[in-house]
Amino acid sequence: MVESAKPVPPIWCPGCGDFGVLAALKKAALEQKVAPYDLVLVGGIGCSGSIHNFLEVNGIHALHGRLLAQAVGVKLANPGLTVVAAGGDGDGYAIGMGHFIHAFKKNASIVYVAMNNETYGLTKGQPSPTSQIGFEGNIERPFDAILTALSIPAPNLIARTFSGDPKTMIAVLGEAIKFTREGRGFAFIEDLSPCVTYNDTYKLWREKVLDVSKVPGYDPTDRQAMFKICLDTMDQGRIPIGVMHRPKETAPEGLEAKLLGTALGPARSDISIEPNLASYQKLLAALS
Amino acid sequence: MPPLADVSVMIGGQGGDGTLTVSDLLGRYFRKRGLYVYTSRNVLSRIRGGHADASVRASRDPIAAQKSTVDVLVAFDQEAITIGASELAPHGYILYDSTAFKSDLPNATGFPFATLVGGALGQPIFKNTAAYGALSVVFGFDPAETRAVIEERFKRRGGEALEKNLKALEIGRKAALEAAGLADRYSVADGDAHDLVMTTGNQAVALGFVVGGGRFFAGYPITPATEIMEYLQRYLPPLGGVVRQAEDELAAVNMIIGASYTGARVMTSTSGPGLSLMTEGIGHAGTAELPIVVADCARVGPSTGQPTRHEQSDLSHLANLGHGEFPRFIVAPGTPVDCFEMTVDALNLAERWRVPVLLLLDQALCQNTTTSPRFDVQRVHVDRGERLTGDAVAQLTQYKAYQFTESGRSAYAPPGTPGVWAEITGNEHDEWGHVSVNPTNRVRMMRKRMEKMVKARDELPAARLFGPADAKVGIIGFGSTFGPIREAQTVLEARGKPTRFLQARTLFPVPVHEIEPFLKSVDVAYVVEHNYTGQFARLLRETMPAQHAKLRSVLKYDGSNFRAPEIIAAIPEVA
Repeated sequence: MVESAKPVPPIWCPGCGDFGVLAALKKAALEQKVAPYDLVLVGGIGCSGSIHNFLEVNGIHALHGRLLAQAVGVKLANPGLTVVAAGGDGDGYAIGMGHFIHAFKKNASIVYVAMNNETYGLTKGQPSPTSQIGFEGNIERPFDAILTALSIPAPNLIARTFSGDPKTMIAVLGEAIKFTREGRGFAFIEDLSPCVTYNDTYKLWREKVLDVSKVPGYDPTDRQAMFKICLDTMDQGRIPIGVMHRPKETAPEGLEAKLLGTALGPARSDISIEPNLASYQKLLAALS
Repeated sequence: MPPLADVSVMIGGQGGDGTLTVSDLLGRYFRKRGLYVYTSRNVLSRIRGGHADASVRASRDPIAAQKSTVDVLVAFDQEAITIGASELAPHGYILYDSTAFKSDLPNATGFPFATLVGGALGQPIFKNTAAYGALSVVFGFDPAETRAVIEERFKRRGGEALEKNLKALEIGRKAALEAAGLADRYSVADGDAHDLVMTTGNQAVALGFVVGGGRFFAGYPITPATEIMEYLQRYLPPLGGVVRQAEDELAAVNMIIGASYTGARVMTSTSGPGLSLMTEGIGHAGTAELPIVVADCARVGPSTGQPTRHEQSDLSHLANLGHGEFPRFIVAPGTPVDCFEMTVDALNLAERWRVPVLLLLDQALCQNTTTSPRFDVQRVHVDRGERLTGDAVAQLTQYKAYQFTESGRSAYAPPGTPGVWAEITGNEHDEWGHVSVNPTNRVRMMRKRMEKMVKARDELPAARLFGPADAKVGIIGFGSTFGPIREAQTVLEARGKPTRFLQARTLFPVPVHEIEPFLKSVDVAYVVEHNYTGQFARLLRETMPAQHAKLRSVLKYDGSNFRAPEIIAAIPEVA
C-alpha cells in the first residue's frame, strides 16, 4: 500500500466542541462507506478549519471565508467526489457571507458544517457574527444562520446540531453525506460547538437547546411551519436544534447534476487532442 | 483620386444608432475584396445612448491598429461630426443624417436617412443600413456584392429583418446616386488576403482554452473580459466542461482553485477591479501549488477607471501581486493567433509547474476585431506534467504532493485517485502538505516554489524579433502594441530607416536572456506601452541595470490604443 499523508494530532483545546464534529464525521463517513480517497474535506480558516488535518482523507485548506467557493469548484469539476466543507462562524457568516448565501441558491451537492462557537477563538475571543449582545462588548444583534437558510427557497437539507449531543450529530451528518452523494443538493449543518477557552457555553447550551422534532406541528418539508417553530423557540429563549428542512424532492437537484447529468465532469474528461479533434476542428471552422 | 490602398471609415452617433452594424457590413465587404480589416469601437459604459462610434479600416497590407486619419465619416448626429471631424483626412468626406440637423461644412452631404427609411419601412432604425448603402455608392462598391453582404449578415434572422435591410440598402444607394458628385468619389484597391478569419483576442483566448484542454471556467461579468466567459458558455458544455458565473471575483477565482485541485484545467478572466479581488486567491494558488490561469483584459485603471477604454497599466500589479512571495508567470500575447496559442501555453505551464499563470491582455487586443490567419489545432500540444494516474500511483511507496525533486516539479495525484490522498494548503507545509513552521522546511519550500521562475525559463513563450539584425534603433513592446509597432516599422523601412522590434511574450520573470542581447545590439531602445509610469521599462531597468541608459519610454494613457504615426513621431532618431 502506498503511504499517504497521515493525520496529525488536533490543535484544539481539550474539550473543544470541534472534537465532536471530528468524531461524528469519522463515524458518518465510515457508515456511508466513503473511501478516504473519494472524500474531500475543505477546511476554512480558524480552529475549526484545521479539521482536514486530523483525518485520513483528501484535505484542502481554503482561504478565510472562501471554503464554499472552493468546495463548489471541487464538486462541479469532479462530481464523483464526496465533498464536506467545514469551518467556523466567523469564516462562514462574516468574511464568507456572500458565498454562504449563494451556496444555498447554487445547490451543489456538498455538505457544509459551520462550527458555531459565537466567537473568534483562534485570534483569542473577539465577538463574531453570532455573538450575543454583551459578549466582549458586542452591541450588534447576533446573526441566525438557520433562519437565513430557511429564507432561501431551494431544495437544501438544513439542520442544526450540538456537539454535546453526538448521537444526533452522527445521524444528521450521515443523512447529509447520503443526501449529497445522491446528488440532491446542498446540505447545511450548523453545529453548536463551544469554545471552552473563550466562550464556554456547554452548560448554557445544554439547558437551552430544544429538539424541534418534538414540537407539535414539526414538518421539515414545510418551510413556513419550520420558520415559525424556530422563531417561537427563540422567543422562549431556547435554541432550536434538529433537521429544519428536508426537501420533498428526491430527484438529483444538485447543481452538478443539472450541469453534467451523468457525464464525468471536467476533472475526469480526456483532454488529449486526438479524441476531441473533430469537435475542435468544427469549432475552429466556424470562424469566418 | 487614385484607389486607396488603406481606407478608414468612422461611423458615429448615439448608442443604439447601429454604428457597429455599419462597420461590420463594411468589414465584410472589404474582406470579400481580399483586404485585411481591423474594426474598433468607442463606446461608453452604458446600455443605450451617449456618443458611440465604430471604425473600420481595410488595407492591402496586414494591419492591427486604426489608421491615424479617417477617409469617410458617417454621422448620425451633430456630436459625431464634432468628434469625428478632427480625425478627418484632408481629402476626407462626411455623410450625415440630416433628419435632425444641417451641417454647413463644405465637405459634407446630408441625407435624411431616418426620415426616408422611416417613411418607407415604418421603422427608422434601419437608417444604419441606408448609410451603408450610401457608402457603397461613395466607394463605388460592386452592387451585387454590396447586397450579398446584407444577405449574409441577416440570413440567420431572415424574413422581415432581411427584407427591410435590403430595402434600406436600396434607399441609401438611391439617395447617394441622386446626389451630385458623390458616386465613385473614392475607390478602394482590391487585395489578395484570403482564407483569413475575423476574430478578437477574447474569442481566440476562449478557443485556445478549449483546445488546450480547459474544461472549467468561472468568472464574473466585467468589461472588457466578459466575452471570454460568453464564448465559453457556448463552447464548453458540449465537451463536458463547466462554465459558471460566480457571485463575485473572489468566488470565481476560488471556484477555479477548487476545480484545479481535482485535476481539471481551469481559467478565469477579469479586468483590473476584479483582478484586485482575485489577488488573494492567486497568492493562495501560488503557495498551495494549484495550477490556475487568470486572463487579465486590462482597461483604464485604477478603481473603476474607464471600463471601456484601453490601457496596459496592470503589469506592475501582476508582477508584484499578493502579499508574501510566490512564483508566477506573466505571458502577453500580441495577436489573435498568439492569444489562441499562448492560452494553451499558459495551461501547459500552469499544470507542469503548478503555478498561477497570468495571461495579460488589453482592451484593444481583447475587443477589436481583426483579420487573422486561421488557428491551427495541429500546433497544439497538451502537456500535463507529472500527473499521476491510479496505475502510476500503485508503483509508488509514498505519495507526497509537495515532494522535493531535482526538476522542481512535484508529481500530483488528484483526489479520487485510488489509494492515495494528500493535504493541500496555503499555509506553509511540508512535503505531505502538513502545516509546518520548521525553519529548515520553510527555506526549502520557499526555494522549491520560487526557483520555478528560474527552472521554467526555457519553456516560457519566447520573444519575437522583427527588422534587420543590424538596425541600431530598437523598439520593445507587448500586447496590442504589436500591430502599430509592426506598421510603423514597415513605414520606416520604406523611408530607409530600419528599426529592430522585440515583441516580448513573456513579461515576468523578465526574460533577461532575450532582452539583454537585444539591448546590447542597439544604440537605443524605445519601450512602447500604455501607462503613465513606464511599467515594463521599469521592470527592464530593475533587472538589467547595466542597460539603463539605452532605455526610453513611449507612453500613451489617454484611453485609446497607439496608431503607427504616433510611435514614429515619438522616436526622434527616425521621426
